[in-house]
Parts: sequence; C-alpha cells; structure tokens
Amino acid sequence: MGLALLALVIFGFASPIVRSDSVLGVSPQDEEFYKASSSGSIKCKDGSGKFTRAQLNDDFCDCLDGTDEPGTSACPGGKFYCRNAGHTPLYLFSSRVNDGICDCCDGSDEYNGSIKCPNTCWEAGKVARDKLKKKIATYQEGLNLRKQEIEQAKLAIAKDEAELSKLKSEETILKGRVQQLEERKEQIEKAEEKERLEKEKEDKKRKEDAEKSKAKSEDEKEIHIQDESATGSTQNNLEGSPKDQNLRLKASLHRPWRSKKISLSDKRLTERNTSINPCVVQIPQLIAILMDKDVPVSSSYVLNRGTEVEHDGNFDNEGSLENSIQQHAAVDEKETAGISDTDLHSGSEVTHDQVAKPEKDASENTEALSKEELGRLVASRWTGESSEKSEEDTTAEDGGHDNNEQTPESTHSEEYDAYDLENDDDNQMYDDDDNVDDSMGEDIGDEHHYNDPASSYRSDSESESDLSEIATTSNPSWLEKIQKTVRNILQAVNLFQAPVNISDAAHVRKEYEDTSSKLSKIQSRISSLTRKLDNDFGPVKEFYSFYDRCFESKQNKYVYKICPFKQASQEEGHSKTRLGRWEKFEGSYRTMVFSKGDKCWNGPDRSLKELQQKLDEMNKEQPQSHDEL
Amino acid sequence: MSNSVFHFFLLFLTLFLHLTIVFSWKKEEFRNCNQTPFCKKARSRKPGYCSLIANDISVVDGNVNAKLIPKTSDQDSKPLILTLSVYQDGILRLKIDEDPNLNPPKKRFEVPDVIVPEFETKKLWLQRVSTEVIGGDSEPSSVVYLGDGFEGVIRADPFEIFVREKGGKRILSLNSHGLFDFEQLRAKKEGDDWEENFRGHTDTRPYGPQSISFDVSFYESEFVYGIPEHATRLGLKPTRGPGIDHSEPYRLFNLDVFEFLHESPFGLYGSVPFMLAHGKSRGTSGFFWLNAAEMQIDVLGAGWDADSGISLPSDQARIDTLWMSEAGVVDAFFFVGPGPKDVVRQYTSVTGMPAMPQHFATAYHQCRWNYRDEEDVELVDSKFDEFDIPYDVLWLDIEHTDGKRYFTWDKVLFPNPEEMQKKLYAKGRHMVTIVDPHIKRDDSYYIHREATQKRYYVKDAKGNDYDGWCWPGSSSYLDMLSPEVRDWWVEKFSLQNYVGSTPSLYIWNDMNEPSVFNGPEVTMPRDALHYGGAEHRELHNAYGYYFHMATSNGLVKRSNGQDRPFVLSRAIFPGTQRFGAVWTGDNTADWDQLRVSVSMVLTLGLTGISFSGADVGGYFGNPEPELLVRWYQLGAYYPFFRAHAHQDTKRREPWLFGERNTEIMKDAIRMRYILLPYFYTLFREANTTGVPVMRPLWMEFPYDEATFSNDDAFMVGKSLLVQGIFTEKAKSVNVYMPGEQAWYDLRTGITYKGASSHKLEVLEESIPAFQRAGAIIPRKDRLRRSSTQMVNDPYTLVIALNSSKAAEGELYIDDGKSFEFEQGAYIHRRFVFSDGKLTSINIAPSASGRSRFLSNCIVERIILLGHSSGPKSALIKPANQKVDVELGPLWLRGSKGPLVLTIRRPNVRIADDWTIKIL
Repeated sequence: MGLALLALVIFGFASPIVRSDSVLGVSPQDEEFYKASSSGSIKCKDGSGKFTRAQLNDDFCDCLDGTDEPGTSACPGGKFYCRNAGHTPLYLFSSRVNDGICDCCDGSDEYNGSIKCPNTCWEAGKVARDKLKKKIATYQEGLNLRKQEIEQAKLAIAKDEAELSKLKSEETILKGRVQQLEERKEQIEKAEEKERLEKEKEDKKRKEDAEKSKAKSEDEKEIHIQDESATGSTQNNLEGSPKDQNLRLKASLHRPWRSKKISLSDKRLTERNTSINPCVVQIPQLIAILMDKDVPVSSSYVLNRGTEVEHDGNFDNEGSLENSIQQHAAVDEKETAGISDTDLHSGSEVTHDQVAKPEKDASENTEALSKEELGRLVASRWTGESSEKSEEDTTAEDGGHDNNEQTPESTHSEEYDAYDLENDDDNQMYDDDDNVDDSMGEDIGDEHHYNDPASSYRSDSESESDLSEIATTSNPSWLEKIQKTVRNILQAVNLFQAPVNISDAAHVRKEYEDTSSKLSKIQSRISSLTRKLDNDFGPVKEFYSFYDRCFESKQNKYVYKICPFKQASQEEGHSKTRLGRWEKFEGSYRTMVFSKGDKCWNGPDRSLKELQQKLDEMNKEQPQSHDEL
Repeated sequence: MSNSVFHFFLLFLTLFLHLTIVFSWKKEEFRNCNQTPFCKKARSRKPGYCSLIANDISVVDGNVNAKLIPKTSDQDSKPLILTLSVYQDGILRLKIDEDPNLNPPKKRFEVPDVIVPEFETKKLWLQRVSTEVIGGDSEPSSVVYLGDGFEGVIRADPFEIFVREKGGKRILSLNSHGLFDFEQLRAKKEGDDWEENFRGHTDTRPYGPQSISFDVSFYESEFVYGIPEHATRLGLKPTRGPGIDHSEPYRLFNLDVFEFLHESPFGLYGSVPFMLAHGKSRGTSGFFWLNAAEMQIDVLGAGWDADSGISLPSDQARIDTLWMSEAGVVDAFFFVGPGPKDVVRQYTSVTGMPAMPQHFATAYHQCRWNYRDEEDVELVDSKFDEFDIPYDVLWLDIEHTDGKRYFTWDKVLFPNPEEMQKKLYAKGRHMVTIVDPHIKRDDSYYIHREATQKRYYVKDAKGNDYDGWCWPGSSSYLDMLSPEVRDWWVEKFSLQNYVGSTPSLYIWNDMNEPSVFNGPEVTMPRDALHYGGAEHRELHNAYGYYFHMATSNGLVKRSNGQDRPFVLSRAIFPGTQRFGAVWTGDNTADWDQLRVSVSMVLTLGLTGISFSGADVGGYFGNPEPELLVRWYQLGAYYPFFRAHAHQDTKRREPWLFGERNTEIMKDAIRMRYILLPYFYTLFREANTTGVPVMRPLWMEFPYDEATFSNDDAFMVGKSLLVQGIFTEKAKSVNVYMPGEQAWYDLRTGITYKGASSHKLEVLEESIPAFQRAGAIIPRKDRLRRSSTQMVNDPYTLVIALNSSKAAEGELYIDDGKSFEFEQGAYIHRRFVFSDGKLTSINIAPSASGRSRFLSNCIVERIILLGHSSGPKSALIKPANQKVDVELGPLWLRGSKGPLVLTIRRPNVRIADDWTIKIL
C-alpha cells in the first residue's frame, strides 16, 4: 500500500512537462482523445453528440457529459484536470473552474483574471511527500507490529491450547473423584436419614396434640385477611380485588407481556385519553437492557408497582417473583392497594415519598409542579431527556440558578452517537477507496485520530478474577494432593458404623464440596478458554492478544472504551452507555462490529464500528501498554 | 426502597413519559375559547347586541371624529372616541379608544413601531364629510371619499362603518351585525374578582376585563384568507354556523406549540391579524386590526345568523367574521383592492415592504440541532463539496453556546469560531448562530449582569425581574418594547462585543414568542409588566417582533449600515417582513405537514411576510427517504429554503440516502440555484410592491374560481407554477393549469393546455413544475459551490412563447449585499419577445449618478420554447453580429425532453440594450 502511494507520487513527478499544444483541463492520457479528429469533429464521450475543434473549451456546453468543456465551467457535469507539477495531479469538478477560489496548487483552475493563484505545488508537494514518508514509516511499523502480534499469538495460542488439554485431562480425573465422594456422601446421608426417622417416630406421638391446635388458629387468621382485602379494593376503586388482580397477574406471567401491560395500566391510559402507543412495547426491552440482565417479561409488573421491589429485592427469576407477589398480596395488601390508587392524578395519597414525585410528573398534572419542575418537564419534550433525573440535581443544589446548566445538555451523547455511527459508514467508505488523492487530503484528519488520547489495557473480563486460583491447577502436585486426600477419606470412613461418626461425615461432605468446587472452576476455565479460542482472531490469528485488552479514547467529554471480542461503551462522568456487544469483524478484518447496544432515544439500537486501522495506530502510540502484555 | 431500585423506577417513568407524551400535542395545556372569558363572552353574543350610536360627527385635523354613546342613556357607560382617517391608495383607518379626558385608570396600549413612518405622509387631509340618509335610518350617515371611486361611510344609528364603491355596492363593513363591544377600564371596586386561573397559573388582571370584539363582513367574497399563523388550508374554513362541527375560532396568540397538528385553527408562533377576502365578481379586499393582544377570529358560515331575525341592510352575498381581542384599542385598516396584488400593496404600505435580502440568503441553508463542533462543521461542509452540492449557509443551534449563554461559544466544541467562519467564507459560505431572548440568570454572564443592573428585563406582576424557564434553565427576558433596551441590544452584535463573530456571521432568533417552559401556555404570564407600564397581555403577540427588530438593527449597525442584515425569526407580527425571514416552526416529518407547509407559506406571503419557508424534511421525526426527497423538491421553491432537524433525529444530509436519492436531492437544490436570478428578481418585486415571491394561484388568476381553494399548487412569481406531491409512492397527479395560455413543463418543455386539469405521471426525480406561456425566465445554469461564486456566471434566458408568439420577463441584479440599491445601484431589465425579435429594455430609473451597479455578465444561451425549429441564425443589434441557432438541450443535466431551439453564445452583456432577431 505504502509503496504504491509512493509510486504514484513519483509518477506525479515524472510527468511535469506541459506541452504547449495540450488542451486545458485534460489529462495527458486523455489528450489523444481530443486529437483524433480527422473529420474535424470530436465525439462526446457519452456518444450523445459531437463538436468541432473550435467548440472545444469555447465556454459553451455542447456535450451533456462535459467532453467539450474540460477546461471551463460551462458543463455542470464536467471534470477539470490540473497537472500540479511538483505535486499530485488532481481532477476537479467543473464547478471549481474560474470560481475565484484557488483549488489547484498550480493555479490552473483560475485563469480568467478574477483572482491570481500562485503556484504552490512545490511547497505543497514537499509537505505531502514528508507526510507520505511518515505514513509509510507508520505502515511499516504497523507491519512489524503485526508480525510481532502474529508471533505472540502463536505462542499464546499454543499456551492456551496446552492449558486447555491439560485442564481437560484434569477434569476427567476430578470428575471421577467427585463421583466417588458423592457416592460415599450419599451412603452416609442414607445412614443419617435412617437414624433421624427413628428418632422422629418417637417424637411424633408426643407432639401430635400441640400441632393440631396450632393449625386451627392459623386458618382463622387467613380468613380475616381475605375480608380486609375485599374492603380495601372497593375503597380504592380497583377493578378487582387484589386477589383477583393477583391471579390475573399470575396468569399473565405466561402470556405475552403486551396484554398484561394493558390490563395493568388501562386505567391510566383511559384517563389520559391516549391510545396505547406501540412504542410502549419497547419498555421492558429497554429496562432489560438498562438492567443489563435478561429480565423476564414479568419485569413490567414490578415496574408498575415499584414498592414490591423494596420488599423482595430479588426478582431475577419468575418463580421468586410469583412467590413474592403471593406473599405480598396476602401480607401487605393494604399498601399495595394504596399504591395502585396513586394512579397519576392523585399523587398525594402515595405512601412512599420516593414514588410520589415521579408519579406526579407522569400524570402531567402540571398544576402540582413547582415552576422549576414544570420548566424542566416542558423542556424535556424537546430535549427528549429525563426531567426527573435533573430534578435530583436541583434538589441538591437547593434551587441555585447558577450551576444547573447540565439539564438540557445531557442528551447530546445520544444524538452524537447516532451521528457518529452513520458517519463512520462514510468514513469507512472513504478509507476503503484509499487512493493517492484521498490519502493526501486525509492526512490531516487521520492525524487527529492518531493524537487522540487513547490507551489500551487489560480487560477485566469475567473469567479473569478466578484464574489466579485455577492457575495453580497446572501444578501436578496439587492434583496429587487432592487424590491423596480423597483416598484417605474413603478409607477412613466406616460406612457400616452406626450411629454415623459425625466428624467423619462432615469431613466427607467438606471434601466433596471442595473437590466439586475445584471441578467447577476448572470447567468454567475450560469453557472460557474454549470460548476464547472459538473466536475469529483473523486469518493468521493476529488479533489474539486483543482478547484481553481494552482501548480507551477520550473525545471531548466522552470516553470511548472498546474491548475487542467483548463490548464497547461510551462513558461520560459516571454515566455509561453501552454501544454494543462484540459481533464480528467486517471488511476483511478492518472493522470491528459491536452491535445491540443500548437503545438510542427514539432510535435504533446503538452499534459501533471501529476501524481496525485506528486501533493499530493506537497500539503503536502506546507501546508501553503493549509491552505490559 | 433501595436506591438503585428507586432509580430504576424513575427511569421507567421517564421512558413512559417520553414514549407516550412525545408524540402528542398537549391540547389541554392551552386555553380554548370557552376557557378564555373574553372569547366565551363574545361568542355568546347575539346579532344586534350593540346599542351604540355615533354622535357628534365632525372633521378635526383632517380626520372624522365621532363619539360612540349608548342609545339608551346609561350613566355608567362613558362615550368612546372614534377617529376615521383616509390614506392614499384606498385605505380607510378606524380608531376607537376610551376618551382620555375622562381619566381612565390607564392608557390602553397602542402598538408602536409597526406602522411605517412613510405611511403618515400618505394621509389625505379630509376637509368635510357629506351626509346621506341610508334606508329608513333616523340619523344621516357620514360619507368620506376614499379615492379611486370608493367611499367610507359612518352610519350613525345603528353604528356601522363600511366601505363601498361610490354610491354603490358594499365591499367590507364593521359592526353590521351589531356584535361590537368595548370593555372599558374601571377602577377596581370591592368585591370585583378579576383573577383568572389556568392550570395552576394565576393572572392577577389588575385592570379587569378590557376586551374588544366586533364583526367584519366581506361582500361578494367566496373565500377569506390570511390571519397567520395556523396550520390550516389556504382558504379559511368557517368555524361556526349551521352544519359546521364545533370548532375553535382561529386563535392569534404567539405560542411555542410542541408538535403542532397539521390542520387546526390553533394559534402558533406568529400572529398577523390581517384577512383578505376574494370573490370572482368583485375582487379582493382586506381588513387589518393592529392589535398585539390575544385575538380570536371566527369565520362564520353562511346562515350563522339565521335565527337572529336581523337581516343586513345589504342583500349582497358575503362572508361574516367575528374578531375578538383581550385588550388594546381598535386601530383597523380597510383595504379596497380591487385586485389581490392591490390589497397586498395597500397592506404593506401600512406595515412596510419586505426587506431586500442578501443574495446568499435566497439560496440553500443547511441546519440541524446541532452541528456538534468545528470538526463536524468542517466535515459537513466538505461533504457538500465532495458531492458537488451547492449550499450557502451553515447554521449552529443552541448547543454551540457556552451553557446557552448567547453570544458565547462552547470552548471545547468551538475553540476557534472565527477561523471556522473564515474557512467557510473562503468558499463564499456564511454562518448563522442562534440568539434567543431568554437570558440565563447567571451573575457571571455579562448580558445578564448588564440587563439586571440597567433594569432591562420584563418584570413580573410584583415588579421583580420575571424569572422563567427556558433552555438555560432559570432565565429572564429582555424588554424589547423599550427603545432603550433595543438600542443596548443592537450594540451586542458589534464584532468587538460578540466575541468570535465575523462579518459573515448572521443571526437566528428562536423562542421569541416568547417561549417560557414553565409559564402559562408555555409563554409569559399576561400580567408581566413592560416598558411604560404595559401589561404583557397587551403586547404579547408583538414581543418577538421587537426582538427581531432589535437583532436586525444590530446587524445593520455592526456593518455601519453597509451590509443588509439576515435574521430568521420564529415569532411573527405585522411588520416582521421588514426585518428578515421567518420559518413555520417545529413541524414534523410527515406527509400532511409537507402539504400544510404550502398553505402556511402562501398565507404568510399574502400577509406581507414573503421570505418564509418550512423546515425541509420536517423538524421532528425521521422522514422516509421518499418524503425527504419530495420535501427537497418542494422546498427548493419556498422563498426561504432551509433543511433543519431535531437533535433526536438521525442525520439526514442529502448524501446519506444512497446514490440515487443523493442525485435527486442534489437536482432539487440545483434547481433552486439555477433559478436564483428569477427568485432574486421576485424578492425585489416583493421589496417594492409587497407582492410575495410564492403566491396562491388566485393571485395570478383572480377570475378563475377553480384556483380559489387550490393550495396543492402555487405560483413562484407570475411565470412558474409548481405542484407539490404530498403522498407516498404517487403514480399520478391532477394538475390544474389556470388561464387561457398554455404551460410548458419546466423539465421537458412539453406543453399543456391552459384552463384545464391534466392528469400527469409522477416521476421520482422531480415534482411537476411549469413555465407559463408568455413568460421569460432568467437562469444561471452553471453549478457552483455556493451562490457567491455565481456572480460572474453567464445567464440563460428561457423564452416560453404564448399563442401570439410573444413573451416577456424581468431581471433584477444588484451587488447582493449592500444598501446601495436603495440609491439606484442596480440593473433592472425587461426582456420582450415579439415578432421574432428579443429586446432587452432598461426599466431602472436612470441612476442618480452617485452610485451605479455594473455587471459584466453575459447571456450565453437563449432557449425558445414554442418556436418552429427552422431558423439557423440570429442577428444581434447594435453589434450587427450573426450567431448560430441550433437545437440543444433544455437542461444541461438530466435533460429528458426533446431538443429545443437554442441561440448559441449570443454573449450580449446583461446590462446593455440590445435586440436579437431570429433570421
């Protein structure tokens, strides 16, 4: 590539002599075309017509493709060639000819006297050549770097693969041990169970009377609670009793979330006289993304009734959620009803202060808002940002006027992102057809990227933290030790002894737990290594070392953090926006694609395409970080 | 509740809010007529309610004076003073106010600085009135002569004012239905509860009710038009009457409406209380009420008064309207026409002619909220060059500032603003930055500090600086009603004071309704206090106008009066046309909004505001490529041609939608550039006559009824008809082509018969546009980076022959920048083709010698449409030189039609007298 560029520049030097009979705006290669006119006429290149020699560059457009006017602005589609002796030749749009702006360094595009363009080709050429030399050096450095990476990758892969095969054999051994221990443990437990049953038999009779009376009293209590819930529901104008609602909710957990959404918030929707907006569909997805968890559909339930969350913080799986709903509805139904009633127009009844504020906003019942809250709310329509978020800031500032300018500004990030992404496409297109002309012009832009404060460092990937311990598995004495201990235990514990020796049993259990935990760690290491090795690291695995590295680039107030094969994010202060998860390489390994990032406001998922070249350069700029690996 | 869960909950609510609210207009946040006491009351009155009679009619100081007193003597009611005056060109002015000698609690507000000073010089000094008894009246009426065969009449009992043809038919009248009412100011008595509450906002109304209402009738009219700004059809639909669904009146109250609807009488950003009426038989008339308070106007459907038992003294067909205003005085103007252009001329003789814009401002503008930083600006600029798409102005929205402090720059994003502007200007391009009237309340901000110290802010009802909420957060609002504040503001635009500005930087005034996010109806409380003790309610609609005025004057001052200003404003009031361009505000990327943009721009043009346009592409939302392309194709004909987009939308510069779409959008933009000589000539016509650049068909064809309600098509000047395409994947369209003469397809030169409707195939690459037979249109066919580089480019004249093989057209040229044209430094030619000969005639008055404008431009090509294709040469005189005539393309790019007769390289100078005879 670099050599090709150089060759083109040299070619530029090789044809500097302008012959006096040449046609203005025509490249030397093209001059033959304009001469081939035995009949006295020249054809338009697009075949649309012909023109005479006298009509060539007569400042009147005869060919729609501009063939007859290479040296004037008469044809809007034409191209003007400047030789730029001493620098690179250039094709201009005909719109640049005699427009009063010097475009060619030899000044040939401005000849009507309205402006004098000095010939700056030699100086410009020198600058360009120096830049090109630099660029070639950079490329060469990049090539070396690539070679190194490939070498290192080979070693690292060999190492990882060796580790993997070793781990796999260890896994087999450990599996056997674990199984043995498990069997032994079960035997012990059987013996223990037998003991316990006998003991229980004795106790049972003694306890029977007491059990009976206790059960009776609990039944009464339950009835009482159900009564109360019925009353509460009427008072609070719910559609059904909490119990009904509860049942419906449970049922709806198995239905598509959309229908559940309607059943929960139809009151709200009716009151606002709003039809159900299809965009609401996005909420659970959004929330799921924001939580960075695979939240099941049921999350929207939790969201609509924020208080439950407080009581049963854990709602990661549907089962526990269902439980929590049941418990909650039964035990704390009064509060639940209260919350439901706070539906938007009656914020005052809310029992939890934290809930009260946002609910008020959601109601658009602007009369209840302070002037400032109202201002922020209305502003947020245009800015599309959260007025609540800033509300907190304000409260903290105690209404101070001076420091609250962050309000309308924080959404930029989103717009900019959207823009960046689209324009990255363009940039990419640019880079792809990286011919001489372009690379010349581009140098300035590129250099800017080079100077970005960028850094690379080891990623704190998920598997990393456990590895220190696991790493010792490669020590054979460790494995022997385990095997030995297991053997000892198996010998020591006499299964047929009754009652079971308690300390022996504990020993077996502990050993079983330890060993199986070791096994699972090895297994997780195996799977993470397998996952790693499964990645596409390029044709010669040159990107292998990127797996454990991240790159940071600071651009204005945003820090872009890119962890190849993992994810990319954008940070501003403490807020972090996920731009995307690793997807693949594109464009013959020149582009990294991260997709399925956080949703842009009002737009599609974020995604990021990072140019490989840029990353290469970033590496080079930070050799020390490279060494650290 | 744990903190993270709490945040999570907030987040949900926020998302919910946005997803549901963002897409709807918050109707309930704005007052409807029933929630507005003066409107409700006025609407409920029955015809014949007014019991006033005109008394003591006399001529004083060249005016007719009278007192309006109740017929039945009523101790409480004080007489009103009526003044009638007459101006040249058929204008009658009526003023009604309280009697200052009877010590009203306060002087009612009269809108200053709207009527141009020259208007007073056109006043006709009345000597006497004649009297005439009308019908069975007990009192004689007084008649004044208006000139040109029109008369103004004060009918004493019942009180009525009307304008008629001399001794004959009525043209327009006031209080013919007796709906006149004038609430006089009273001192507050015990028990008077004047407070009004709306959605938690209290209006103290210290002066109590002070509204005015009356009916106005337009005779022999089929449609009424005007009273912008509403997103409605061009011909105003009735709002009351039999068979009409309940409708709000047309509201005139400058408001920042989030996501306005495409068909609603609801008030938007501007208010021009000027209505035109047009009918086939009688022609056009107009009525203008100079009043800056909230106004509501009903257009009454035929038969609205059927059950009132009152019948008008005239049996002429008419359109009745009801005008209601919250405050102010009656200062009304009656315009007799009789043609549409006459009415517009009459109206602009009162409120001023549209300013002559700089040439660059008539070209294409590229805007977005926001071009992020200097690098972004450079990238966008270079992309236009890369795709060889011309543009003239790059705009920076609010984010370019340091924390929404206008006149400052974000130091990180725009570290070198001067260099940035100079780079653009090196390519002949200009920049526009935004300056809004809300000032961030920040003691470290010099504007705020000065404004506070000098007490230049609008005060709240208690007399403190009013504190509202806008982009910067807590903000105060400059009191631009005060000439002193305006003078101070003017200085802020000097190159020294506006750090980072250069002479190629121009200004955009947004949010000047004013928009107040936490105010009632998103604006300022009505009881806020202005200069001279005026209440905000009295001048609300003119607030943005004064701001626009001050900004515009600032740019003039900056250049020492050498450079024409360019200031875009969102708020609108009568007279806005003198200070710059306007746009139709925050529209939405949908097809209906594309359609309504035509009637909105046409309506603005009818009311003097010629330099206007809608955001190309639609501000909110993401247009489908097809919609965006169609919007460019239409927007290229808006007088003000700017693409703009909300910050949450995807980027939509013309090259982002694939090669094909890029080409089509480029062609649309190029069409504008090619037609710039024609457009600029039209801007000059507007500047001298008030006739808008973009006109409804009926303005050019006032006798063709088929045009009266057509707002899908429009005229650019008198020579070009454009038909919008407002539907997705349109395959065909019916185009009505008015007049007896034929029309030539602008792209192909194919002719269509006039006075008929044609079903035409709709092409992807253009919207239908036609050159009127008999018109000559000047073009500049060469493509450039910006209009600046086109100055010396040669012209093409396209002559479309009519049935008698004749045509004519005009061309106006000046330096495009300075005010020298006002001293005669311009070229104005008329081209006339007849008897096979084209003649170029000078129509500029001989320059006063002090300043002249010279041009070396030549005509490189003359195209003759509708001429037989025999001739081979033409003779130029006086040079006595023969030139070739041949068949050539109509367009140098993408020419679709047959070859057309072309005079090749006549190379005559545009400034000279010459003739070219086809041989």
